Amino acid sequence: MSGALASTLAAAPTLLQSGDGNGGDAAVLLPEWLADVLGLDGLGGAGTAIAALIAAFAIANVMLIQAALAGPWLKRKIAAAFWGKLGPNRMGPGGSLIIIADAVRMLSKELIVPDGADRPAWDLAPIVVAGSAMVGFAVIPFGEIGGVQIQLADPEIGLVLVFAIASVTSVGLVMGGYASSNKYSMLGSLRAVAQNIAYEIPLILAAGSVVIFAGSLQLSEIVAAQQETLVGPIPAWYAIVNPFAFVLFLIANLAEVGRNPFDIPEAPTEIVAGYQTEYSSVYFVLIYLGEFLHIFLGGAIAAVVFLGGGAGPVLPGPIWLIAKMWAFFLFTQWARQTFPRVRIDQLIEIGWKGLLVLTFANLILTAILVGVLEGDVEFSMAALQVITA
Amino acid sequence: MSTGEEQTDDAEQAIEPTEAKLTELKSLLGEHVLDTEEHLNAPGIVIRPDDVQAVLSTLKEEAGYDHCSCVTAQQYDDRYESIYHLKKFADPTDEVSVVVPTARDDPISESAAPVFTTADWHEREAYDLVGIEYDDHPDLRRILLPETWQGHPLRDDYDQDRPQIVTLRENANPLQKDHRGDPEDGESDTMFLNIGPHHPATHGVLHLETVLDGEQVVDVESDIGYLHRCEEQMCQQGTYRHQIMPYPDRWDYISAGLLNEWAYARAAEDLADIEVPEYAQVIRTMSAELCRIASHMLAMATFALDINGDFTATFMWAIREREKAQAILEDLTGQRMMFNYFRLGGVAWDLPDPREDFFEKSRDFLDGLPGATREFHDLLTNNEIFQLRTIDTGVIDPETAKDFGCTGPVARGSGIDYDLRRDDPYGYYDELEWDVITEDGCDNYSRLLVRMREVEQSAKIIDQCIDLLEGWPDEEREIQANVPRTLKPERDTEIYKAVEGAKGELGIYIRADGTDKPGRFKIRSPCFSNLQSLPAMAEGEYIPDLVAALGSLDIVLGEVDR
Repeated sequence: MSGALASTLAAAPTLLQSGDGNGGDAAVLLPEWLADVLGLDGLGGAGTAIAALIAAFAIANVMLIQAALAGPWLKRKIAAAFWGKLGPNRMGPGGSLIIIADAVRMLSKELIVPDGADRPAWDLAPIVVAGSAMVGFAVIPFGEIGGVQIQLADPEIGLVLVFAIASVTSVGLVMGGYASSNKYSMLGSLRAVAQNIAYEIPLILAAGSVVIFAGSLQLSEIVAAQQETLVGPIPAWYAIVNPFAFVLFLIANLAEVGRNPFDIPEAPTEIVAGYQTEYSSVYFVLIYLGEFLHIFLGGAIAAVVFLGGGAGPVLPGPIWLIAKMWAFFLFTQWARQTFPRVRIDQLIEIGWKGLLVLTFANLILTAILVGVLEGDVEFSMAALQVITA
Repeated sequence: MSTGEEQTDDAEQAIEPTEAKLTELKSLLGEHVLDTEEHLNAPGIVIRPDDVQAVLSTLKEEAGYDHCSCVTAQQYDDRYESIYHLKKFADPTDEVSVVVPTARDDPISESAAPVFTTADWHEREAYDLVGIEYDDHPDLRRILLPETWQGHPLRDDYDQDRPQIVTLRENANPLQKDHRGDPEDGESDTMFLNIGPHHPATHGVLHLETVLDGEQVVDVESDIGYLHRCEEQMCQQGTYRHQIMPYPDRWDYISAGLLNEWAYARAAEDLADIEVPEYAQVIRTMSAELCRIASHMLAMATFALDINGDFTATFMWAIREREKAQAILEDLTGQRMMFNYFRLGGVAWDLPDPREDFFEKSRDFLDGLPGATREFHDLLTNNEIFQLRTIDTGVIDPETAKDFGCTGPVARGSGIDYDLRRDDPYGYYDELEWDVITEDGCDNYSRLLVRMREVEQSAKIIDQCIDLLEGWPDEEREIQANVPRTLKPERDTEIYKAVEGAKGELGIYIRADGTDKPGRFKIRSPCFSNLQSLPAMAEGEYIPDLVAALGSLDIVLGEVDR
């Protein structure tokens, strides 16, 4: 499903060449390059679609492999490191074969369907959760290898699109929680909605300040704008240019991906497992997978918007971007090991009374600053008017 | 050790104040007192079954007996008897037993629940196991056994061989009564939710019947008894000398075993008038405090688990510290959890050889403890999110806590300065330097803080004990008093004695019937009384705070249900 969607996106007419001079040579997007190499150009639209499908398949698999590494194995290894234990170490090198053992175990479990489950919705929810996280990667620019931009599609509205897709997950959570016919699931899904509404806006506003800097919603443009150096060897990453926005974004992002201290929709000690209480076997795997993909997507967005995308010395872009995604994953695990969970009412309060105000302030200040720096007084005045209003 | 003459002197001295107290009580209660009894721990006054509330409220309001520690029910050949063991929070050695006999053919007694809230559950248990009915009781149902149970197991006409045949249909199915809190028109905003008996936050098999309004708890009721293992009956079938001691380990089974053993040892030793050698008392004190540290560490770990919501570093680090205490206890007793180390009149054996290694290991543990505690303060008490979650949630004020019979860290977290180790000294505690910890916050945070600070005090006690044991002359290492092979305390001697367990006041009531086995063995579980106060803490709060309050009570279902 994700592949099909991605290919539609890839084939969409919003395709644009990236790079505005700072980003170096105009790079070719992965599907275009594939179409070229495989000689699918001759087939016209169909050829582009096939190339996009192949590219999407490749990217999706890279993501799935990462989730497989993270879920059953590295997550445990990381947790064990925090606990002062060894973690899995019996199966394969460093216990890595536990991935296979776990996969077999999970998939061979009985799929238990609760009695009053609302069937189509209940079955669709895991697919929506896993699928929406996966689709988000369609617009992530992974960086360049040999002049090829590893990105499936680069629409002008990339940033908006990726946020929109990422928040489709909450629809999946609500579907699953509501259709499970379980009060814990229901509480979990209600919490998921409340949480997502409270955090989506600060998240987008924090990213919005970057849009003002970059002057574009196109992800490749945002990355390209960060390729300069600020002072000496320090890169002009927006995390360094505007660390305040970065911190706000990280906090909101933790809530968005539902990790500690904001893992309220699951809240294992309170509402058992929240929206996923009734899911088992394959469906559970899908939801679990969706969660990890979601964390990685959150990391990828943070990397693209604030950490210069695939920028980094020596190694090729995609490696750097994936490294940054893993850094975000480590950050979530670190938070998970140390932070207590906030209560739902406190979370809403932090979201609406704290983060929202701060992100708005950040957005307007950024607007004024950018206006002054670029000599665009009108722009600054407009921002000031927003404040006074 | 002492001569017979001295003993008589002691006995006379002991009886005189008791008689003075009895005269005082008689003048206070006047007509109500039918007769008096002599229990080893306290004077007993016998009253009519319909005078219970009048007598108890007089004793509570005018004589200051504000702590209804326990209610024991039992059957005699000619009557049933409920005994209310009253104490003062200010001075737990000032005790009085209110004995309420009821007729054998129609055992109805007035309920004490309107006077002491804690009597609610205790009387339900008495009704459940012995079958005494309490008039004016707010909710007289079975509490430990299933609702459909036939008969009352502690009655002498109870036939244990008769199978309990109750069809599945007749059993209450909690899933069916799913709309409690919903009025008939179905337009209510509340939702009934079963939390447990299998739920990550219930720390065992506890079933909380909750009514929720959104995320807020409107009503919560504990359904216990899933882990009822007839501990009292089993103790009644064991001989004093050897067969009872293994059972206490199984009450509060998470590493507080020696504290439980001490409860039985203390009651039985006082009953049989056994003098424990000082050396053994020091070993007992040291090992019991190790148990307290282990138990408090686990309490902290699970509380962190409830607040953090996952198996986190805090949980694992606390378990690691507990593990060190466990290792020392294992060296000492040979067991990790079911120690069975205390004996009547002493302990099973001396410290392990070589003694220097044991001392070194213990000292290493104590030396590492301040660092570990600092880590936990960094991770928990100094964490702002943690403070946000625990301060001013699960509040129980001191008066309510006393009314519910809360003891231990729960009471001390509400500012009640009550610790039996100091107030009713036993073992070697009164010879050592340490403080009773109290916090005035009355909330979840205070209860955690009390436990964390108590760990420090326990470490202080252990340190002094190790010093004492190190310097103890070889020839005076007497670990065991000379106790007869068979103990047969005199018929109808009764005693109720408590020690400060990890969770609070752990009391044992024993009535001797002239044989080598107790006629009645009653356990006063601190968790049982503490758990009863959960609604007072959690109603009106959010679900996460209910979970936090439950965690801060630090209950062990093995001890609640016995």
